[in-house]
Amino acid sequence: MNSDLIALNLEVKNKEEVIKELGKRMFEKGYVKSTYIDAVLEREKTLPTGLDIGEMCVAIPHTDSKHVNESNVALAVLKNPVEFRNMIDPSKKVEVMVVFLLAINDPDSQVTLLSKLMSVFQNVELLKQIKNSSSTEEVTKLLKCIEI
Amino acid sequence: MKNVNVLSVCGSGTVTSSMVAGKVKETLKEKGISSSTTEARPTEALNLAQSGRFDFIVYTSPLPPGDYKIPTINAFACLTGIGEDKFFEDVFKTVDELNK
Repeated sequence: MNSDLIALNLEVKNKEEVIKELGKRMFEKGYVKSTYIDAVLEREKTLPTGLDIGEMCVAIPHTDSKHVNESNVALAVLKNPVEFRNMIDPSKKVEVMVVFLLAINDPDSQVTLLSKLMSVFQNVELLKQIKNSSSTEEVTKLLKCIEI
Repeated sequence: MKNVNVLSVCGSGTVTSSMVAGKVKETLKEKGISSSTTEARPTEALNLAQSGRFDFIVYTSPLPPGDYKIPTINAFACLTGIGEDKFFEDVFKTVDELNK
């Protein structure tokens, strides 16, 4: 995992800002196309990606593969919780502290990455450790355990 | 036992539907059930369901209203891990019903 794609203690006013910030980093590194950020924002409006994992909530914004050059994941731990909408019930709000911005080029060939990601956000203890990390090196190390 | 055809639905028809499809396939395999999975968006789901190609649907984004004619199972628990056992219970039950 690229440490430039990890933003800790990120202060944003809303979900659009965190998506733009992480999206900008992905774009600067060439992982995504110029259309990516707008596509993610647009998708989030009608098909939100907030997940309630019980003790905390995360969000996994993403969009179609056509906006992606190379698969990668950007991560933000927010200074203050930001409101996203619940994926399975868009009328419900979730307060999110950890955001994984996903760029997936070819889902069929990325089954392993996807299942590893799934194991991260299903692991509340790991999410808590990520949330409480004080450096990007620490987060990189935590994610290395699952080889992301 | 025949091959089970599963339609996995999520917002973009890519990320979460693939995650769920992968887990369903793996879990069915452990039970000795072979399956094929296809991912789709909610807007494609009704057409695909009515095509008769699939045995049941698992979804993480809400399905548009319509007569799907096949069982539809909310897969959010599979995605978050919370209440996952109940989700798989429903899947196994649905598969059992297919084989009757």
